[in-house]
Amino acid sequence: MEQKGLRKDPYNIIITGVGGQGNVLASRMLANMLVRRGFAVTIGETFGGTQRGGAVMSHLRISGTNTWSPQIPKGKADMIVALEPIEAIRLLASFGSADVIVLTNTRPIYPVGVIAGHLSYPSTEEIQSSVRELSGRCRFIDASDQAIKLGNPIFGNIIMIGAVTGMEELPIARDDFREVIVKTLAADKLDVNMKAFDIGVNSVNTQPPGTSL
Amino acid sequence: MDDSSGKMGQAELRKKVLDTELCTGCGACIGLCPYQATYRDQTIQLHQCDLNTGMCYAFCPRTPSDLDSLRKSFFDPLEATPEIGPVRGFYICRAADEGNRSRAQHGGTVTALISLALQEGFIDSAVVSESAEGFRQQSVTISDPAEVGKRGKSKLIVSHTVGEFNRISRGGSGKIGVVATPCQAFALAKMRLKPVEAKDNNIDKLQLVIGLFCGWALDWRKFTELLKNKTNLNEVTGMDIPPGKKTVEIYTKNETISLTGEEIDPCIRPACRYCVDTTAEFSDISVGSARLPESWSETRSWNQLIVRTSRGQKLLDLARRQGILVFREVPEGNLDELKKAAWEKKKLSLRRLIEKSGSEDNLLYLDHRDPVISRLLC
Amino acid sequence: MSILLEQNQDVPVLLLGNEAIARGALEAGISVASGYPGTPSSEIIESLSRVATERNLYVEWSSNEKVALEVAAAASFAQLRALCAMKQNGVNVASDFLLHLAGSGTRGGLVLVSAEDPGAISSVNEGESRYFAKMIEFPLLEPGDFQEAKDMTKWAFELSEQLRSLVMIRSVTRLSHASGNVRLGRLPENQAKAEFRYGGFILDPLEGLITSAPVVYKHAQQQLKLSKAREIFENSPFNTYTGPEKPELLIISCSTCALYGREAIHLLGLEDRVGLLKLGTTWPLPPNLVRNALSRAERILFIEEVAPFLEENIKVLAAEKATEVGIKIFHGKNDGSIPSVGELNPDIVIAAICTIMGIEYTAMDPQYEKKAQAASFARAPNRELTFCPGCPHRASFWSIHNALQMDNRKGFVCGDIGCYTLALLPCGYSTVKTLHSMGSGTGIASGFGKLGQFGLDQPVLAVCGDSTFFASIVPALTNAVHQRSNITLVILDNSGTAMTGFQPHPGLAVNAMGSQVPKVDIVKLCEAMGAKVELQDPFELEQTRETLNRLMEDPDGVKILVLRQICGLSPEKRAKKKYDMRIDEFLCLGENCGCNRLCTRIFQCPGLVWNKEKGKTLIDEVICAGCGVCASICPQGAIKSEEAA
Repeated sequence: MEQKGLRKDPYNIIITGVGGQGNVLASRMLANMLVRRGFAVTIGETFGGTQRGGAVMSHLRISGTNTWSPQIPKGKADMIVALEPIEAIRLLASFGSADVIVLTNTRPIYPVGVIAGHLSYPSTEEIQSSVRELSGRCRFIDASDQAIKLGNPIFGNIIMIGAVTGMEELPIARDDFREVIVKTLAADKLDVNMKAFDIGVNSVNTQPPGTSL
Repeated sequence: MDDSSGKMGQAELRKKVLDTELCTGCGACIGLCPYQATYRDQTIQLHQCDLNTGMCYAFCPRTPSDLDSLRKSFFDPLEATPEIGPVRGFYICRAADEGNRSRAQHGGTVTALISLALQEGFIDSAVVSESAEGFRQQSVTISDPAEVGKRGKSKLIVSHTVGEFNRISRGGSGKIGVVATPCQAFALAKMRLKPVEAKDNNIDKLQLVIGLFCGWALDWRKFTELLKNKTNLNEVTGMDIPPGKKTVEIYTKNETISLTGEEIDPCIRPACRYCVDTTAEFSDISVGSARLPESWSETRSWNQLIVRTSRGQKLLDLARRQGILVFREVPEGNLDELKKAAWEKKKLSLRRLIEKSGSEDNLLYLDHRDPVISRLLC
Repeated sequence: MSILLEQNQDVPVLLLGNEAIARGALEAGISVASGYPGTPSSEIIESLSRVATERNLYVEWSSNEKVALEVAAAASFAQLRALCAMKQNGVNVASDFLLHLAGSGTRGGLVLVSAEDPGAISSVNEGESRYFAKMIEFPLLEPGDFQEAKDMTKWAFELSEQLRSLVMIRSVTRLSHASGNVRLGRLPENQAKAEFRYGGFILDPLEGLITSAPVVYKHAQQQLKLSKAREIFENSPFNTYTGPEKPELLIISCSTCALYGREAIHLLGLEDRVGLLKLGTTWPLPPNLVRNALSRAERILFIEEVAPFLEENIKVLAAEKATEVGIKIFHGKNDGSIPSVGELNPDIVIAAICTIMGIEYTAMDPQYEKKAQAASFARAPNRELTFCPGCPHRASFWSIHNALQMDNRKGFVCGDIGCYTLALLPCGYSTVKTLHSMGSGTGIASGFGKLGQFGLDQPVLAVCGDSTFFASIVPALTNAVHQRSNITLVILDNSGTAMTGFQPHPGLAVNAMGSQVPKVDIVKLCEAMGAKVELQDPFELEQTRETLNRLMEDPDGVKILVLRQICGLSPEKRAKKKYDMRIDEFLCLGENCGCNRLCTRIFQCPGLVWNKEKGKTLIDEVICAGCGVCASICPQGAIKSEEAA
């Protein structure tokens, strides 16, 4: 497979969310799209205990040549993809920079402390203002809401992958996604996944940067 | 009156009452919410409530209380006595029906009065205490007059009567009567003052309080441990405190076991040592075991009874008219002896409170400026 | 089709570290794989079980790690290649057998994989198994990346047969649960035939008896094997050096720490000044190779997790070869350059190098960092761990907590390992008061239960799961029953090994290969021991609480309460909600006296959400599992449940 260049090597993406949201699925799919293109991808993840309501993250290192550490060094994320909005804010404190790109789902999943009433969850305005202030470019995507319309919240992950592709930061395209889906899922699932993917691509291209869909 | 934090919630209830051994087990804090529960005769805080004020603290008879305003709200000041509370009338009586008497602790007066009150519609249901398995006492609500007689015996262990009142008054119950120990009657009186804003006025359903004379109650766990070494708990048919010496008699099918003061003392519920009310001063009618010149076997089938309010009087008069109760002449000096004994107990309890707090000005749940209390302190 | 069966060797595939290890084992032609679930090792056996039919394998989730190793060893004795996988503390459980296995030697290649958890991401310890290799004397390999995970595992079987010794491969979370590109090798046809030969001369390693005795003789044989390994390791491709001929600083590393080292060197731009020796064969150390590396530089920095295993062993070599290599300045854990606890990452390595070499490095612009930290503090509330919605443990610990409060004698629970370990936290009402290794809850309780003689009058409880029960509770329980220890054991039976991914165990009628098998009945087993046993559904809250109070008041011997209700994550539970839940807002008291938000503040199921504006609780239908338990706890009866269509 031909290898068009990366904007930088390694290119670092963090996919984050709450345990059980499909974080691992999303990172695998994105990684497979890139491996197909001839890139060396390292994914660093933690599962097990953190899944019981805890925050989870997958660190993706995309390189033309090397296997990089499964943990991205401090301040070195190029893109943060958040399946849950406050997880984006949490990560920026360790891995963000003035140039980082942030793509975030808008639907909150309340931590147990918020549900129980002893912690408070920020408002949409507060979330958006923090993300905007701490990133170079950002997009707020109603991935969960769109996914529920398609029939299953899990499609939210596919929409976010579409969004990543739509940003055109990485040398991947619609066909790469299609190939990965064809290989891993049953044929009758193809259409709805492609639909979700396209929603994601459009979500980052049709809106001016930093606004919600 | 309260500590500097000014908070009057569950945490303060714990600090001031539960942790200091002042809790009488009356149940006033039970049945209001899921945070307090009763188990055996202990009051348990299941979870932590973080509200700053609450019903539990306000209703508890062992949180700082204003006795004077309670007296003034419910009783005629002319009838007040400092030793035994308001006395409208003093009688010696017992249930006319001998069958009822034999099932009761002493004269069967309380049983007779409650049955009558239910029958005549003074109340629709009554909260009383009954024996349960393993020597426990539990509180139940009954509406059938015939059922009252089955609960005549006493086992000297407290049950959470006010908690049962709280529970039953929430539903569609009508008028409720309660057979209460002095601390329980006191809690009900505090509740009648409506110290906290409540969603509904369940306390208004309370229409009759028959109080029981009480010197002390026993701690279930300690007492059953003591008894287990002496007899099979299932064979106990009753127990009583003969007047005079501090002993307790336990009656089984085959024998009578006598427990000495030394054996009983460690089993007494700690909170009882700080109680200043032996005659249930905050009731409509108070009933105890009579003190008569005759032998104990004759005396024990009579009650002494104090009427304190007009509705108490009404019920008693009805009982006399219908021949439910029979009366006898009150011996000379009988009331004075009762007052003297009650006064001594108050003094003793106050001494213990001062010892506990370390200061004469700090009587924990009582106010040293209260007219009756201040007289005791002189 | 499983990725492990991929035959195309031209295109690299993305594999989990554990999948790479499994693939390596398949390429080596294993026949048998065994293990016990433990994070981060579980996927090794899981992925092999999924291809067992196609690859003609026998794959087993054994009842515990010691038995798992014994099962794998049997395959090796019968001339088959076998793999055994476990987490770091599993090696402790298997260690007595391991000691004797190293003495007896093996026949078919036998590889033990220990997947460890530096930093205890999913453990309650950060123990190390590498020392077992040194202490018990067998070879140890540590893969440094995903390709090596596969290649090393495959080669380990050859090495094992060459030496007739077991070989240990040590992985860590950051390798086992990470993924990377792997080029695949050939999958052989599996024609292995099992035969156990014992008719030859008794000391013959392939035809004689398999024993660790005569001990001194066999011990000497072991050491000869190690010498042979040393020679082989001198030329191993798994030991690599990158960097200048004579670096200012030599980093010696192993495992994924080598990746952190490389990243640090790259970020600091020190490729011409700092060299990196990555060792893959970490016991026994190849002395010449190490000597040559040490000769390159004066300053050495060791990067490894968790204990200074390499550091101390290389320092010994350095001392022995002092006249050849000269005096060195060592940095690592012993001098505080690298933290002596927890896992490492590139930033820690960067900090160490900067201190040693006097270099400045700023990871993040300080002003940005300040803003970002403030935002995180104010706007990213912590995510505490909790039980899943519908979890039976929530109901069980609610009842256990309430029963202990009502009993009012300062009773306590000795905890154990599984999802229910979380009962240390508020989500389990902070009921658990001691926690150690698998099975130790019951053992400790057995001890507490005999202290009545010294005045202990607090009720003693222990909890364990159904999988934990078979793994390590039975000996402790037998002891408690036999010694008449006054305890109550609560067995939380949710029909699976939930925490690690819902693997089967001997209490279920199906095994790792999906075959129907006899199940061992927990209740009958406990009764056979002579304990008093009762069975209850934990979703019946009041009944459970009453039973617990009654059992706690019984002062005679062991009482067992089995709380049986299937895990909320089990496939059958997830498929369909039993109840539809809703709140009657008119009845809900919210924050007022009489309730004070019992359901959201104390019970804390994530399906119950506190709506501050309305001052009422509401049900989150997406999260709610429909178990119906919350309906029993509302004092107002405001939580309504209706059987789902």
